[in-house]
Amino acid sequence: MSLPILSLIAFTPAVGAVIVALTPAEKPELARRVALGAALVAWALSLYLLATFASAAPGFQFKEALDWIPNFGIQYKVGVDGMSVLLVVLSTTLTWISILASFAPIKDRVKGYMISFLVLEVGMIGVFIALDLFLFYIFWEIVLVPMYLIIGIWGGANRIYATMKFVLYTLVGSLLMLVAILATAFAYQAAHAGSWAGAFDYEKLLAWAGSVHFAGDLQVLAFLALFLAFAIKVPMFPFHTWLPDAHTEAPTAGSVILAGVLLKLGAYGLIRFAVPLFPEAAHTFAWPIIVLSVIAIVYGAVVSIVQPDLKRLVAYSSVSHMGFVTLGIFVFSAAALQGAILQMINHGLITGGLFLLVGVIYERTHDRTIGKMGGLAAKMPLYATVFGFFILASAGLPGLSGFVGEFLVFVGSFAFAPGIAVASIIVMVLAATYLLWMFQRVAFGPVSDFLNGLGDHLTDMTRVELVTILPLGFLIVVLGIFPSLVLDLLGVPVRAFLAAVGVPS
Amino acid sequence: MSWTDLTTIAPLVAAVLVAAAVLVVDFIVPGNRRAAIATALGGLGVVALVIVVGAASRHFGTAFGGAYSADNLTVFLDILFVIVAALTIVFAADYLQPRGLPIAEFAAILIFAITGAMLIAGSADLLVLFIGLELMVLPGYVLAGFARRDPYSTEGAIKYFLLGSFSSAILLFGLAYVWGYTGSTRVDVVAAALTHAISTGSIQPGLAMGLAFLSTGVAFKMAAVPFHYWTPDAYQGSPTPVTAYLSVGPKIGAFAIVLRLFVGALEPLKGDWLPVIIVLAAATMTLGNLVAITQDNVKRMLAYSSIAHTGYILVGLAAFAGGQASGVSAILFYGAAYTFMNMGAFGVITALQRRPGITSQISSFAGLGRREPWLGLLMALFLLSLTGIPPLAGFWAKAYVIVAAIQAGNPWLNALAVLAMLNAAAAAFYYLRVVVYMYMREPATNIAPVQTGLLFRVGLAVTGIVTLVFGLFPVIVTAAGNAANVFHS
Repeated sequence: MSLPILSLIAFTPAVGAVIVALTPAEKPELARRVALGAALVAWALSLYLLATFASAAPGFQFKEALDWIPNFGIQYKVGVDGMSVLLVVLSTTLTWISILASFAPIKDRVKGYMISFLVLEVGMIGVFIALDLFLFYIFWEIVLVPMYLIIGIWGGANRIYATMKFVLYTLVGSLLMLVAILATAFAYQAAHAGSWAGAFDYEKLLAWAGSVHFAGDLQVLAFLALFLAFAIKVPMFPFHTWLPDAHTEAPTAGSVILAGVLLKLGAYGLIRFAVPLFPEAAHTFAWPIIVLSVIAIVYGAVVSIVQPDLKRLVAYSSVSHMGFVTLGIFVFSAAALQGAILQMINHGLITGGLFLLVGVIYERTHDRTIGKMGGLAAKMPLYATVFGFFILASAGLPGLSGFVGEFLVFVGSFAFAPGIAVASIIVMVLAATYLLWMFQRVAFGPVSDFLNGLGDHLTDMTRVELVTILPLGFLIVVLGIFPSLVLDLLGVPVRAFLAAVGVPS
Repeated sequence: MSWTDLTTIAPLVAAVLVAAAVLVVDFIVPGNRRAAIATALGGLGVVALVIVVGAASRHFGTAFGGAYSADNLTVFLDILFVIVAALTIVFAADYLQPRGLPIAEFAAILIFAITGAMLIAGSADLLVLFIGLELMVLPGYVLAGFARRDPYSTEGAIKYFLLGSFSSAILLFGLAYVWGYTGSTRVDVVAAALTHAISTGSIQPGLAMGLAFLSTGVAFKMAAVPFHYWTPDAYQGSPTPVTAYLSVGPKIGAFAIVLRLFVGALEPLKGDWLPVIIVLAAATMTLGNLVAITQDNVKRMLAYSSIAHTGYILVGLAAFAGGQASGVSAILFYGAAYTFMNMGAFGVITALQRRPGITSQISSFAGLGRREPWLGLLMALFLLSLTGIPPLAGFWAKAYVIVAAIQAGNPWLNALAVLAMLNAAAAAFYYLRVVVYMYMREPATNIAPVQTGLLFRVGLAVTGIVTLVFGLFPVIVTAAGNAANVFHS
């Protein structure tokens, strides 16, 4: 029997959480170190997974399956393809970075914080590896609770409003998703002489969807329910309003994970479940969704321009960037889907980094108002350099990873509808506008009175802060120059997706 | 009366004897709490043993000429009722003592009430059913007014009593009509008569009227909207452990009536009561949730939430009426899961209120997660389970009900399933609001630590562990399924 590597990755943080829970409350340093250690072990295991993953092999790898609730054919079944491997590695990477970045800012109830983060990691990894729809749903909901606590306990002044909004939005979507999952499983069960065996098994359902197809009205309703759940999480316009609030109020590391991984859960769900299981419905609704994506791209960018708060600006820019992802999914072309998945990874790295950097400045000033900043480059030269690098990456500078993803989405969508592609290219100009203008106001010009007033508090980046940010910068450069590192892994999942929607690849 | 009759009703006999024994012990050693509690809990253990042994040795079948029947359903419900009684006594012991209220009488009255519920669970005759119902609710009125110097307790008890006896009368009136038109009170005879009536033509208007009265009476008992008005006052006014009992015991008792009456006797007419149940379920969960959102008193909030849960359970009944037999096992599973998570939540409130004078206002929960880490954690667990977050018992309860509703394949039932899930999302608001207070607000200063006895802590731990274990391994689904098979074998 081979090593259950996926379960090891998923449950290492859970073991870590238990150990953290056993540490004495008066020793927060111990809790911090145990949490970081567990996250690093999970990270190392995920790198091992990446290294041993065979990118050309079809289907899912490292599969594990155990009966969980046989009455309903529910299994503990996990497995990964190229897309999920990448997202697992993204999650484990951002988790240890977030935990390390929380060492200094989080001083209150450290134990609870670290436990929440590790449980969050269990949920995130679980979502990306689950091959049973029910298991997927359970991990999906597990993600919700720790994030609710992280925003609600360690967040900013308006944290309770923000966290309730986050939970209620997500729950409405996910509970409808549950109904859709049950209805799908029941349709499968009814067609198999009442046997529940395999009714929640993703691979069996996918094969069924590809050969027999689910009935038309079930497709429409189930697709819409899944789409709503995932669209809220992405978030797509007009379901995005929870995002700026949640980001603004969350602690820095919470924002990093929220932007870096949680938004990807929605996009992942669309690619993995909503579209391949219900391809006819996906085709029916492709156009409205593409239009919503373009609105999100444009709207997010336009609204970003006028944001007075650094975090809100980055949050709205996420709406815009994630619009490219949904656009790339629903034009049903190989290039666009590769671009969409690459964009998911890039957005995780770049926006995660931007939130970390906003956190750095917030730690020193306890303020995020763009108007109060100015001349940071003189006070914190190293910080300004790193910040500028991430700004350029976010604006899609060629040579950095953000460019490749958006470019591929353009290519893919141009063949589909040139007008859409042109409209979204124009947004790149807007992105450059809001990002560079913000950077100019923050970093250049004379040092503002507000920053001068802080005096010696305004030190440059510390070593720990550099350790958290540099890996992300490194990956952004590497993936910008060698995108094939990622794209090679995506060949199999992209072909599977296109086969499911009936588009020749 | 034969020997077989007695062995069949052995659990009932045992329960009555235990209640009497508690009184006798209190008479011999007056005011000795330990003796009374030990007798009551030990006695309940014996009752559970009698039930299990009876089930294991297959002492199933009817007794007293078919008026009482013991089967898997009876066993399932009986065990549940015994657990409810035991947990209530465990929670009540610490609560009553500082208030100078006697535990022995409390326990005896409670066990009499449970006996009534067990009688319902095994009734195969409409009159026995009614007697069981009265035996269950009469002690309930006394318990609601148990803190007799507390005006709220008295007020709640009066309201509960007036509306309760009113609804019992309505139910009895309905039973009389059914008897008049079918010529029997025996469940199987009624069912056969109804099947015959349907096959020969339409049912008479008088019988339909009887059914309407029956539905109304039962809806009162289970606190379904619009017959729920007694619930919030009775729940809020009663001593907290009594509220815990009222929110679970009589509610499951009411659903036992539903199972014996509607699923057993009136099954042939299920097509006719489907629309009624759908409307009732939709109204009950929606109104219960919407009103719960605005409550600032946690006990009152849980009262409205228990109305909402009645609505979810009714979805299972609607699924049965829609032709999906698994609706019945969904009801049973929901009842079991709800017992543990709701009793647990009330247990935490009871612990907080151990010292008299602490209200159940939501502000009492401020900073609980920091003041009392274990109580806070357990309360969060119960509230998340009530919300329906996996992997906790409440999640499976909801999922199971929804599966049944979807399987029935009726578009109205599908819509009801969707409505139930939207309701669950709305309910998250008020459940999580308590979590917000516990973990995200600072406690008022100088609050004395909560002190609870060992027994109390064991009781809380049991509810917490079961809520978690039912969530990770919902094994009891099988037991619920077996119990439900009674109706189609």
